[in-house]
Amino acid sequence: MRNVGIIGVGYTPVFVSKRKDVNIPEMISEAVDAAFRNTKLTPDDIDAITFGNMQTFEGVNMPHLWAADHMRALDKPYMRIATGGTTGMSTLHSAYYHVASGLHDVVMAITWEKQSEGDSQVGLSGIVMPEAMVMVQHGMDLFGGKGMGAMGGGSTGAAAYQAMSYLHHSGADPEHIDKMAALERSNAALNPYAHLRKKTTVADIQATPFVSWPLRFGHTCPTSDGATVAIVASEEMVEKLADSVAWINGVGCATSDPATVNFIEGQITDPAEQEPARMASSKAYAMAGIKDPSKEIDMAEMYNGFAHQSLMWLEKLGLCKEGEAHKMLDAGALNIDGELPTNASGGVFSTNAIGASAMNRPTECALQIMRKIEGGHQIPKKIKNAVSHGWGGMFQYVTVTVLGDEPRHGQG
Amino acid sequence: MQRDIAIVAQAQVMTDSLDIPRERMLFDLVKGLFDKVGITRHDIDGFVLNSNDFEVGHTIANVFEDTPCGAYMKDETHVEADGMWAAQYTTMRLLSGNYDTALVVGNSSGASTFRPYLVMDYQLNPTYDRQLGILNELSTAALQARAYMAKYGAEEDDFNEIAARLLRNAALNPYAVRSKADATAGDVLASDYLYEPLRQLACYPFTDGACAMILASGKRAKELTDKPVWIKGMGNSVDTYYVGERDLATSKSARMAGERAYKLAGISNPAKQIDVAEVSAKFAYQEPIISEALGLFKEGSAGKVASKGLADLGGSMPVCPSGGGLGAYVFTANGLVRVAECVRQLKGEAGEAQVSGAKTALAHSQDGFCAQHNGVMVLSTEEG
Amino acid sequence: MTFEMGEETREVQGTWDISTYKYLIDGAGMKLLVDSMKEKKIRGIKCPQCETVYVPGPTFCRKCYIDIDEVVEIGETGVVMSYAVEMADVRGNPLEEFRLTAMIKLDGADTWIIGTISGMDWHDARIGMRVKAFWVDEPVGSLADIDRFEAI
Repeated sequence: MRNVGIIGVGYTPVFVSKRKDVNIPEMISEAVDAAFRNTKLTPDDIDAITFGNMQTFEGVNMPHLWAADHMRALDKPYMRIATGGTTGMSTLHSAYYHVASGLHDVVMAITWEKQSEGDSQVGLSGIVMPEAMVMVQHGMDLFGGKGMGAMGGGSTGAAAYQAMSYLHHSGADPEHIDKMAALERSNAALNPYAHLRKKTTVADIQATPFVSWPLRFGHTCPTSDGATVAIVASEEMVEKLADSVAWINGVGCATSDPATVNFIEGQITDPAEQEPARMASSKAYAMAGIKDPSKEIDMAEMYNGFAHQSLMWLEKLGLCKEGEAHKMLDAGALNIDGELPTNASGGVFSTNAIGASAMNRPTECALQIMRKIEGGHQIPKKIKNAVSHGWGGMFQYVTVTVLGDEPRHGQG
Repeated sequence: MQRDIAIVAQAQVMTDSLDIPRERMLFDLVKGLFDKVGITRHDIDGFVLNSNDFEVGHTIANVFEDTPCGAYMKDETHVEADGMWAAQYTTMRLLSGNYDTALVVGNSSGASTFRPYLVMDYQLNPTYDRQLGILNELSTAALQARAYMAKYGAEEDDFNEIAARLLRNAALNPYAVRSKADATAGDVLASDYLYEPLRQLACYPFTDGACAMILASGKRAKELTDKPVWIKGMGNSVDTYYVGERDLATSKSARMAGERAYKLAGISNPAKQIDVAEVSAKFAYQEPIISEALGLFKEGSAGKVASKGLADLGGSMPVCPSGGGLGAYVFTANGLVRVAECVRQLKGEAGEAQVSGAKTALAHSQDGFCAQHNGVMVLSTEEG
Repeated sequence: MTFEMGEETREVQGTWDISTYKYLIDGAGMKLLVDSMKEKKIRGIKCPQCETVYVPGPTFCRKCYIDIDEVVEIGETGVVMSYAVEMADVRGNPLEEFRLTAMIKLDGADTWIIGTISGMDWHDARIGMRVKAFWVDEPVGSLADIDRFEAI
């Protein structure tokens, strides 16, 4: 199989609640321009473009068509990918396959969200709109408190069930969620492209109210405006064009059933089981030639809409044994200077422009590997292998990308 | 291409009024396809789904398509644009060597769930065009039709002839939702204007439906079918969003998409080397614009092609023997349906619409206003 | 001459009109369930191949990928697989009365439903605890026929 590497990344200058100074294509083009600036490439160097954002959130259908001019996409092959919360990484995977197929050499992956221009709650409730209507027709009191009523988990959705299931099976305490939240928010304070940038203590987190036990307000992610662009290239073009590179050595994705809230058909999955995470990561590790991720992976970027998830994913992705993640947290292993720095960027939990959220995980890994991190969160140790993860759909869909400082040798 | 990839089999379902849930339609279609090929869902190592959230009214529509398509606990991804992009992405995944047997499924319910014209409204620039309320699916199409007529002296009757041929062809296609075996240009002329110069019978009918296809690496394809249809080339290209900045009488992006696909397929003279073409045209007038851009006919030749019957079933370059978009237009999946129709032709399964001796076929797709984004795939009965 | 960009762009209103959609939904398993609830029973559909019992039942098995239609009756008692305590409403305003809801696997089913648990201090809730459904006095064939769950 052809080796493919990320040779450059571009972010919008900031990720914030509301970008009032630019419209959608203008905002995305800031990240496109940044990617060109950072790689010293021009639009002529790009063979094809992949484009992704969360469907429906801004109320524009297939916005890649409206944005084509601003994306410098004219006269180029162009493809729109959308898989919900994982869209960012799915779009990167599509760029990867554009090159791995042998059809293209340099491909740009564009991901973004401008959540301030839409209504994310409406967008999200649209996931189950017809199902919710049927439930109401059959007597369910969606927001009431009777019998089989109540949207699962209250306003945090089924994430609260997931958190509770995780705590139960891992033996972690609710305080571990506070601690992980404080760690990530403090990491975000060092990251100029993070949204919530405030050094945060465990006491700060614990001062926020509970939304749904065991989740506090301080355990939930913001909604952000921002865009992220990655340029990937074939091995030959890396040599010609790039001064640094992070290799995409393994990719994987997997789905199960629409696990929660789908009351039309009985759900068969624990929201904390996340079997697709095991499936997608096993495939990505195998591609990358990684036999024991707990030993060979040097850093992790986990998709965490909620703070308990970073810990949960470390276990699901085989980076530690079940029930060990919170112990690693206690031992300081997840700190930026620890054994397995986790979400040095601050995670989705601190910055969430949804369509870009699952892209910011591998781009953070790539910049860490290339040692091109801006701000204060560069991981001090050398990074040979990094794992990034995306999560979305309806609790049921996972993507994984394994990156390395060297290309794969002699596989496939 | 670095690996031979073939289409193993296809399946379609179409109706003008769906009376079963979309999920059930997908289950029946995909299960039927697996049974026909003699495999189970566990033989598929990569699923690529294709739908549009605005079309089906479901955020992250693929969430509810996964299990009906057999993707429970499987590798799956989703393309939200015309189905041909899903087919092209599936081909890329197979070319990489990372997959061997893949399923691609496109669907929408433009007749029963939501009107395609509204879906198109949501594609407009929301800060300007949508506010003005002048541009929409039909008004942009009318502008494009007029542009072609003005540039090449074409008449509305030329388009009516094209529409009549497509409606006659549709009568030979078991999947078509609208057809007329003896349609004439006069019948089209007798139908109302939806938007001058677009007559109702020259515009696509609202259609519910889905299309599924199994693709595989060469070795695997030969295990699964006696008649693999080989993917020889593919390409796509996007034009500016702003219709005012394009020469609407022709299609630069269709031309570029074609050139990219021809280069891979080793085609230098498409008019000679291609035996049958399935073009994605939502309106009769679009067919000449696109097929000319693809080099199948001379520029501005709609009148001549119609009067000489060049694009007819027995003509020198049969276009849309299926009836194309005028027989059925499954929004989103339409490009995939065009590929599937080429597969039927190349497998010799097209019945009365069979183009005899068809060895090389071209499928085309489009997205956006006045076909802003175009895709092409070239298929062949011959390996290598 | 250079074009001066404003501090802020202009805002325009747009809507996405969801009410114009006409959805067809497979309600077979749901109908089976609510019809049975009229008799204070809970019924689901069983896959003959893998023996998974779904409540409410789909019309095909996700794992085996075959049509399924075998109706089975399941218990009104079950086990809590996970739970949460709702303490604020969807806008983040604190609730006066906290609400304990749980994902419950009813005895005989392989799938989970969501239910509200009454009559206990939420601090005492545990994953793995057993609960029982309590019915309204006069069921009408609706999901509201189960009034509440209580720990047993």
